[in-house]
Amino acid sequence: MKLRTVFLAGLVAWCLPAQVTYERLKDAAKDSGNWLTYSGNYQGWRYSPLDQVTRANAGKLKTKWVYQMSTTHTVETTPLVADGVMYISQPPSDVIALDAETGRQFWRYRRVLPAKINTCCGQVNRGVALLGDRVFVGTVDAHLVALDAKTGEVLWDVQVADYKTGHSITVAPLAVKDMIVCGISGGEYGIRGFLDAYDPKSGKRKWRFWTIPEPGQPGSESWTGDAWKTGGGPTWVTGSYDVAQNLIIWGTGNPSPDWNGDKRPGDNLYSDSAIALDADTGKLKWHFQFVPHDVHDWDAVQVPVLVDDEWQGKPRKLVYWAHRGAFYYVLDRETGKFLTGKAFAKQTWAKGLDANGKPIRLPNIDPSPEGTYVWPGVQGATNWYSPSYNPLTKYFYLAVWENRSVYRKGDQEYSPGNRFIGSVPLIDLPEEPGHGAIRALNPKTGEMIWDYPLHTKPWAGVLSTAGKLVFGGSDEGYFFALDAETGKEVWRMNTGGVIRANPIAYMSQGKQLITIAAGSSIFTFELGK
Amino acid sequence: MLRYLLPFVSFSAMALGQAVELTNPRTSPEDVAAGAKTFRSHCATCHGIRGEGGVGPALAAGRFFHGSSDDALLKNISDGIPGTEMAGLFYSPDRVWQIIAYIRSLNQNPRSEVPGDIAAGNALFQSNGCVRCHRVQGEGGRLGPDLTSIGKSRSAENLRDSILNPNAVVQPRYWVFEGAGKDGTAYSGFLLNEDTYTVQVLDFEERLRSINKSGLSSYKVKKDSRMPSFRKTLNDGQITDLVAYLSSLRPKGDSE
Repeated sequence: MKLRTVFLAGLVAWCLPAQVTYERLKDAAKDSGNWLTYSGNYQGWRYSPLDQVTRANAGKLKTKWVYQMSTTHTVETTPLVADGVMYISQPPSDVIALDAETGRQFWRYRRVLPAKINTCCGQVNRGVALLGDRVFVGTVDAHLVALDAKTGEVLWDVQVADYKTGHSITVAPLAVKDMIVCGISGGEYGIRGFLDAYDPKSGKRKWRFWTIPEPGQPGSESWTGDAWKTGGGPTWVTGSYDVAQNLIIWGTGNPSPDWNGDKRPGDNLYSDSAIALDADTGKLKWHFQFVPHDVHDWDAVQVPVLVDDEWQGKPRKLVYWAHRGAFYYVLDRETGKFLTGKAFAKQTWAKGLDANGKPIRLPNIDPSPEGTYVWPGVQGATNWYSPSYNPLTKYFYLAVWENRSVYRKGDQEYSPGNRFIGSVPLIDLPEEPGHGAIRALNPKTGEMIWDYPLHTKPWAGVLSTAGKLVFGGSDEGYFFALDAETGKEVWRMNTGGVIRANPIAYMSQGKQLITIAAGSSIFTFELGK
Repeated sequence: MLRYLLPFVSFSAMALGQAVELTNPRTSPEDVAAGAKTFRSHCATCHGIRGEGGVGPALAAGRFFHGSSDDALLKNISDGIPGTEMAGLFYSPDRVWQIIAYIRSLNQNPRSEVPGDIAAGNALFQSNGCVRCHRVQGEGGRLGPDLTSIGKSRSAENLRDSILNPNAVVQPRYWVFEGAGKDGTAYSGFLLNEDTYTVQVLDFEERLRSINKSGLSSYKVKKDSRMPSFRKTLNDGQITDLVAYLSSLRPKGDSE
């Protein structure tokens, strides 16, 4: 990008009122100076068109500013940046607005929470949504809150579900048209999952799609008895939006209880699925279930990556999806039809995928009272942290785990607000910790292009840029930049805290910046001289 | 007026405090079994399936950071612990008492059941090189685990097994790193920490060292114990005395 263009873009951004319109969100892929929505664009690419930081100069990256939060909880936030202001969530459910240039605070919204909130895996939050001059955040006590983007003042606060029955919100909402789409957590508490859309002005619910159908609805034949009432299928990671088809494509989580499927015979739709909903009505257009009758807790809570490209010589609307169960999939975005799939990490549970993409299960892989060893482990071969698609390299990038768990099974009765999981697995084997990697895949085939090995298993997403770089992080605290074509490391920095968040890139005063949450802090990097 | 009221309020609070101090009414073997079941499905994810610890603190040692009384445990399990990942439970107190009964059952290694001569065991501990690597009450080496409270957290059987079969269970903290530098330097020591690019060790001269992996031509991590077996060094009676001594090592104030 030429300097003059950068200057003009910066000037225009400064002069415009801070309105994040649907038109801007729709064209977010072209708005390189901002980061307006969770994945950077509706297609779920986590790709920045900024190219000031390149493979040649990334070695000069240095810390520009650090913002230290006041929290004891794990920070999983993806910051959003709009017109010079950065909006971050601070766990459990606070929101902070910062000057994106200096890291200085404008305002902070403090969520007062009930004393007793149960979340499966920490009181975390993955970020906010922006629409108009409002900021939207889901809370761990299962409310959706609208804030004034200028002041942090609460404009409305609605209860999405009852936290006393194990519902919570950790997902970053998605602003689509004139709606705020918001998912729910609670797959370890026997909730019945759903995806909601709310009016951003009033907080009134526009539609709800139940991810677990009730008797009589399509898909209910995949359940037995009353098991659907506590069937799980949460929606705790932000989905994507297909503008042309007006389709919200979202992943759903595990059926409940996680590791004991005896009382829920059947495929347990629409758990562990990609669901495509009409954005205006919330009606299901298609679905694809990655793991029918899951008993390993392999949620399909990955960001759907939407790409229009040639498929076998013809243009086609595609979805790229690396699932927690260690298989990578390509789906048709108009029908949900399975096109191809391939394991991207070690797995010992399926012989492969059949012509419809269903796993061909191997024997003796289910949890057992004495414990069953299966690859991948409970946390999967990948998980909620974001993948990235780069339109220049046309590669799919992701953080990968290579490990196994001991899956144990036990009896458990449902009790509102308490865990409903069916025993507990040995998630990490102390003497066999496994390892991790950042990988590039050929998205058309799932073949690995390159591998950047990590000693530990990463919980951080990846960002790719037009500078042909991939940014990623590790639990060891390192934030690094890799050559997007070769995987060769070009820069790294020890932030000193675990990185369990997704990176972003934006522009401030004509310079490309990169931001990541690490430990309890937000780090922003710039090119040094 | 306020100042005259204060002594009365304090006295009342003290009286009230004594009145509400609770002890566990559910301690039968059936309660322990029921508590184990609840523990397994609700607590083990963080605290380990046998209370050995994990993301959350170990509970089997019987020491609790936020209060060790029955009353404190009831409150912390029922309500959670603010500022931590510890969530509360939506269960009746009866069911929480059963969990407490199970947690207490993890920590019962009564001293009186262990045979052997403690003083003779102590002498063996000093004369057989144990003290070169192990510390007791601040005295001894740092190359093995500190044994100051070992009798509280390990059973006599477990201690005997560790002396006879030190390789049976070796905690990762005592795995040994061995590396060969590209310049010919040899590195070795207990693996304290490792990441993708570096290794931190305590070498056998008790020096803390950090090593860049990029400077190594090869390295490996050995999971065998550095401690020798005493199966052939000591006779049965001496082993019994040594176990008696180790079982006697408990935190100050431990009444059992």
